This record gives sequence, structure tokens and C-alpha cells, in this order.
Amino acid sequence: MRKQISLLLLLIVAAGFALCLAGAPFGAEGARESRRLVKDNVNYGRRYVSKGLDENRCANIVTSVVLNYRGFDTLGEVTILFIAALGLGAVLYGRRAGASPDEAQRPSLILSTGCRLLFPLIMLVGIYIFIHGHLSPGGGFQGGAVIASGFLLICLGCRKKKLNSVALGAAESLSGLAFVLLALIGLAVGGSFLLNFLPTGKVYALFSGGIIPLIYIAIGVKVGSELSGIIDNLSGEVR
Amino acid sequence: MAEASYPLGDRLRSFLYMLGISFLVWLALTASLQAQELLVGAGVCLALSLALNTGYIRLGLPPLSAKRIVFFAVYLVVLLWEIIKANFDVAYRVVHPAMPINPGIVVIRTELKSDIAKMVLANSITLTPGTFTLDIIGDKLLIHWINVKAESVEDATRLIGERFERHLRVIFQ
Repeated sequence: MRKQISLLLLLIVAAGFALCLAGAPFGAEGARESRRLVKDNVNYGRRYVSKGLDENRCANIVTSVVLNYRGFDTLGEVTILFIAALGLGAVLYGRRAGASPDEAQRPSLILSTGCRLLFPLIMLVGIYIFIHGHLSPGGGFQGGAVIASGFLLICLGCRKKKLNSVALGAAESLSGLAFVLLALIGLAVGGSFLLNFLPTGKVYALFSGGIIPLIYIAIGVKVGSELSGIIDNLSGEVR
Repeated sequence: MAEASYPLGDRLRSFLYMLGISFLVWLALTASLQAQELLVGAGVCLALSLALNTGYIRLGLPPLSAKRIVFFAVYLVVLLWEIIKANFDVAYRVVHPAMPINPGIVVIRTELKSDIAKMVLANSITLTPGTFTLDIIGDKLLIHWINVKAESVEDATRLIGERFERHLRVIFQ
């Protein structure tokens, strides 16, 4: 039964890929096509820079490109990170089963107290970075990395704490799902994947940029929980 | 769950401290008083403090009062002054041709009880050039001193710890 379902899924994915690739110009025809685009002055970089602010109302033009014009690439990048974390988990799972955990030295009081004090504030800085990804440098990936560094601090400084891997997994799956759902709503409403369907607001305000901040929040939660999961996996051997 | 056994008062204090500190940090990060920023900041800080509300219990934070806040502000000035003085002292030892140093490790004693108070004391000593807290064991602090002037616990406590501790005792006890 399982085999048949996976085969069916594989066929669906293959059919989708075939349909997508059938429309793309390849070979000699593709080369002619791209020359024609160059001749028509379709310079994507210049177009994003000159029109990006008007179209997305997103003060940070890099975010505008990464999450809207090239949002599909970003979905792929998030997937790559997910697969890397999955692979690491699979590799370490086998090693963890038989090994007896080593007893780690208790951290100094200075260290463990400092960790407890700073942990919520590190979370806050991470959240701040991904909420303001459309206004200032940084974004979901950077904010997520800051959040994971907070979990790393907990693992190193207060060693006995075990991360709640079920909650991490749930946060990761839900945020990934949120990204795809936002993209699909765009497809349903306006006929294109990742269409910016929300009102875009005023430039430089916090509530601006349409779906861009929402996607960055999803990416921030996803990257944060994924990297924290990696840290949890790696620290699983020393207790 | 061990966390459920904490008294409600402790949990509430931990929650309120976390909420207050994180909202101050949010204001500093955004440097803006726009309604949208404040609204999102309040939401984020509230969610964070609700999720991690037991996190500050073991720090042993004292009840907040005006006196404590004033003394903490005074303490920051005292700390800054001690750091400036110690900077000149260490710089003098570095540039002096004979390099008059006498490094060693001494033990000092503290009367502070809570974890947070001990940590602030240890970090103040570390921030002051010339002295460095290696570890805290019970009520004793292990200090590396660039110029050991006194080896007995009482004298070392008086020279290193007391200048900070007399303020910290008011703030944290």
C-alpha cells in the first residue's frame, strides 16, 4: 500500500516537472529567445531596482527581490536547509541509539546564570531581525540563525536542558506549510505563485510590503527551529 | 513537571521582569515610538514572556522598588568609575619599564545570596581590568589578580569585592 502511494506521488511530481519543463525554451530555440529578450532591453536587475519600491512597497530592495521576484528560489533554499537537517538527523540517529551518554561537567554559576538571563533577550533580537526583514538588513535566515544561537547557548551553558524536539518539529513544519500556503493563495487569487496579494501599505512602515514580512516570519521560525534541531541532534551525545 | 511546583508569586515576578526587560530591549532595538512598532513589540514580548515565564525564577531577582532602581543607576556610575581607574592602573603597569606586576589567584568571600547578585558581582570584577573572576563556588569567588596585594581572604575581599558589594547588597537583598 505504502509503495503504491509513494509511486503515485512520484508520478505526480514527475508529471508536474515534465509539464513545467515542456514550456521552457531549450537549445538553439532557447538561445534565440534569450537574445531576443536582451534586444528588448529586459534587464531584470534594472527592472527590480527601478520598479521594486512601487510594486511591493518594501523599503529593503534586497528583500523585495529575494522574497517576491525570486521567492520561488527562496522556497528551494529553505527546502535545501530542511533536507540537510533531515540528513544530519538520519546520520546521527543510528549513532545515538547504542552510545551511553557521557557525563558533562557542570557549568559555572556565572555561565548558567548569564545564559538564563540572556536567553529570552537573544530570542527577542532574532524575532526583531526577522520581523523587520523588509525594512532593514537581515531577515528570516539571519533571525533564525540568531534564535538557534540562543538554543546553542542553552545547550552549552546550562547543559542539562533538553530541547523539546516535538515542539521544534511542529514549529518547523507549520512555518514551512505557512510559506507554501501564502504562495498558493497568491496562485488562487491572482493566478501566479507567490503573488503579493495583500495591501502593500506605506513604505518604511512596519505593516508594509504585503506578504513579504509574513513570509519572512515563516522563514525565520523555520530556519530557527531547523538549526536548533541540528544543535539538539549534535548535542544529544553528551549529557 | 518541576516547573509547576514554583509558587505563583515567583512565576508572576519572573514573568513581569521578563516582560519589562524584553520590552525595554525592543524599544532600544526599534528606536521608534510608532503605534505599529509598539503594538508588535508588546505582542512579541508578551508571547515570549508567557512561553518562557519560569526562566527567570532561579535567578532570584528581588522585588522591584524605586530605591533599588536608583541604587542600580548609582551602581552603574560606580562601576564605570572603577573601570576607568583600573584601566589607568593596568596601563601604568604595562608601560612601566620594570613592569611591576605580581599575578596570582586569590579567594574572596561574598555575602550575596541570589544567583543574579553573584553573577553581577563576578562580572563587575571581570570587567574591571586587572581582576578576573574564574569561578564561583558557594559563597567564594576565585579571582585572578594582576597585582596581588593581599593573600588572606578577608583582605582580598576588602580590596576587590567590597567596593561593589556594598552597593549590590542594597540592590539585591
